[in-house]
Amino acid sequence: MSATASTTGSSRVRTAPDEDVRPAPRPAMLTYARLDLRRQLRDRFGMFFVVGLPTFMYLVFGLGSEDAVGSGNVAMYVMISMGAYGAVTATTSVAGSAATEQVMGWGRQLGLTPMRPLAFVTAKAAVAMAVAAVPVTLIFAIGAATGARGDRTDWTLAAMLVWLGSALFAIYGLAVCLVFRGTNAPGIASGMIVVMAFLGNVFTPLDGLMLDIGRLTPLYGYAALARFPLTDGWLPLGGRDPLWLPVANVLVWTVIFSLLALWGVRRSRSRT
Amino acid sequence: MSDTVPTPAIHATGLRKQFRQGDGTPVVAVDDVDLTIRPGEIVAFLGPNGAGKTTTVDMLLGLTRPDAGTVEVYGMEPGAAVRAGRVSAVMQTGGLLNDFTVEETVRAIAALHGRADRVETVLERARLTGIARRRVEACSGGEQQRLKFALALVPDPDLVILDEPTTGMDVATRQEFWQAMRADAALGRTIVFATHYLAEADEFAERTVLMNRGRIVHDAATSDVRAAYGGRTVTFRPPAGVVASGGIDSAWLARVREALEPLGVTDLEVSAASLEAAFLALTAESPQAPELVGVAR
Repeated sequence: MSATASTTGSSRVRTAPDEDVRPAPRPAMLTYARLDLRRQLRDRFGMFFVVGLPTFMYLVFGLGSEDAVGSGNVAMYVMISMGAYGAVTATTSVAGSAATEQVMGWGRQLGLTPMRPLAFVTAKAAVAMAVAAVPVTLIFAIGAATGARGDRTDWTLAAMLVWLGSALFAIYGLAVCLVFRGTNAPGIASGMIVVMAFLGNVFTPLDGLMLDIGRLTPLYGYAALARFPLTDGWLPLGGRDPLWLPVANVLVWTVIFSLLALWGVRRSRSRT
Repeated sequence: MSDTVPTPAIHATGLRKQFRQGDGTPVVAVDDVDLTIRPGEIVAFLGPNGAGKTTTVDMLLGLTRPDAGTVEVYGMEPGAAVRAGRVSAVMQTGGLLNDFTVEETVRAIAALHGRADRVETVLERARLTGIARRRVEACSGGEQQRLKFALALVPDPDLVILDEPTTGMDVATRQEFWQAMRADAALGRTIVFATHYLAEADEFAERTVLMNRGRIVHDAATSDVRAAYGGRTVTFRPPAGVVASGGIDSAWLARVREALEPLGVTDLEVSAASLEAAFLALTAESPQAPELVGVAR
């Protein structure tokens, strides 16, 4: 207690006239985003699903698969799929935890700072994309070192599509966590990603009725689009998707998730 | 300079807020509250749970919009005063992130205020330097409360509003918390705190605002409020010999009454001391049917 007297010498009664002395506070968003990113990366349980699981699955299903697919080989096909799964899990869980933080009261704490809501969304989006880059970089690096082969332009294009496309699932994570409020909402969102990955032709190749159903699910369009530079639309078990199909899938689900998220935001506001 | 009357820290008139309950019936949480707090004052908001303290605090901070009435904080709209760092709060329901450390939490909030220079100071002020590297989830309730207090000090505000700051603390940590607060108040900060502990208002506040059922029922110097519930209470312990399982020996009590009569003492009562009882007496507008008050409005 004795040390407090030395700081900023303010034994005066604080009154209104020092308004002009006070510097206008400028939020240091980069510092906040960096602290938040470090917190996310430290979460071992979460990072296992983002990085560990997809890497493991690439090693099991993709390693040494030299059979040709499109302009490359099966290893590259599996690499893109698993990179996509990791990236999507990352954006889902970061966006989901952002929504949950708001609901659980951290939002009230942030509401007492000069930060504007838009700056918060931007910072969270940056953190989500940074976390999503981790599995994509790691799995693509392992792929390059262990025999995934394809055109250089296909590699670059696939990596960009996987990374940028995962942003769609940030909207998904936000929507799920705003609709199912509570601490376990991010878990529900990530769990549903696993189911959607099976239906979306990400883990094992589908055909027949399952493929027809799968084409309508949210991960199908995104994963098919990411693999498009490699496969040109050809499917592993025969058949070919025209380019408009995955594009339409992504657009439709973007609209659906956005509407759900908007509804969730509106509902959480009306409670207070 | 020419203005001799300083801008009040808080100036609220005719505040009113109504909520809808789960079954759709409207409940008036805050009803026609007028309040002016001058810079440098230490004011307690005293009232039972559901008196409207938290709703009032939310409106003073711009977190809830009043249905009617106006609030100005240092002459500004509350949200603007918050963004300018002139007012901050320790909120009852404000959450912390479990997987941040104590220091990271302060750094994060300091970054948003653009006041990275304040981190060391507020950690020390809230006596958190020793546990700066501890994760929030490993902190006790009292330590988390002190952390929230540290966050409130980050913008170096002129006014701090504390909503039930000592909830969940044991007596020792509560004392420690108020010690830290008192040191800070000595620097000239205006402090408004909501509490349902009569003793906290009594010990710490110069002025007490009593709230019940959304209305201010008493607003005066704390010493006046104390007088209103009967001043000091004299208690004494009877010798062991007169206390039986059925109570105190009535013959002995009669002798006590007889002995006290020449001193002007009448109506001697033996009862467990209860702050709650005194408090209820003050807050109940109509002792016969307290439940009906406010519902009819």
